[in-house]
Amino acid sequence: MEEAENVNAKSSQDGTSNPAGSASGITGAADAGPAAAGSTETGAAETAPPATDTRNTGPGRLLIAVYAVFAISATARAGYQILTKFSEAPLAYLLSAFAAAVYVVATVSLAKPGRTAFKVSVAAVLVELVGVLVVGALSVFDSVNFPHETVWSLFGRGYGFIPLLLPILGLIWLYRRRPAPRHH
Amino acid sequence: MDAYFYIILVVGLLSSIICAAAGILKKAPNDTTILSVAAVELALLVYLVGSVVRVASGEQIAGELWEFWGYLATALLLPIGAVYWAILERTRWSNFVLAAVGVTALVMAARMNQIWY
Repeated sequence: MEEAENVNAKSSQDGTSNPAGSASGITGAADAGPAAAGSTETGAAETAPPATDTRNTGPGRLLIAVYAVFAISATARAGYQILTKFSEAPLAYLLSAFAAAVYVVATVSLAKPGRTAFKVSVAAVLVELVGVLVVGALSVFDSVNFPHETVWSLFGRGYGFIPLLLPILGLIWLYRRRPAPRHH
Repeated sequence: MDAYFYIILVVGLLSSIICAAAGILKKAPNDTTILSVAAVELALLVYLVGSVVRVASGEQIAGELWEFWGYLATALLLPIGAVYWAILERTRWSNFVLAAVGVTALVMAARMNQIWY
């Protein structure tokens, strides 16, 4: 445990002391991936050290798994809608495709360590939250243009309201595992 | 809803309950939870074989053919993927990932039944 934390601390220093650009930051953090994964087995999830790069371990894995299921199902559904009946409701089906893209980006960025991936995650999850709230509200008040056919319609009722719950849990998780402030 | 759905309903729910309970009890994935997910895979394989036999014997699928088989293929991949993940990181949280398989398979089986009839 001691050793694992040392590795973690070292890896996050590597991340911060690397101003050369986001791309190299990602590779540096990616190298630390397995070491970070090992440290959570001892229950680091409960203590939630904010400085370590452990977003894709512990509860984070559950979050990624649920996002992955939504990415697959939303992509399949949007693809089906656009290929077979796009002209019926172009706006709703484009929204479906957009929602699918957001889920894919969120899944991938949540799974990746590093600062850039963190920012992408926050952006994707925020877009998702705004999307489910706006589309949810529109589908309630303007059901003509939004015929209940996207993941986000009626605040995701067709999916057990998980689409509404997911971004909130996602933001809480990202906040708890935010990267340490940058210092030179 | 046919027998295939009810098999997956029972097996899927049991598997989800077992895995979620193990997760709540702070246990890492073990033989019990992984075998319960394997049982879900087995139930889905039974659905696959049964469906192939029914189509071969001339039964018609009411909905889109490729939609049905797409759902079934995706559902068959879920337990494998989840177990692979659970083995990669053996923490209690992986049990919750395993728990998601049963419920997801159940929802997908319900949708497959809708497509078939």
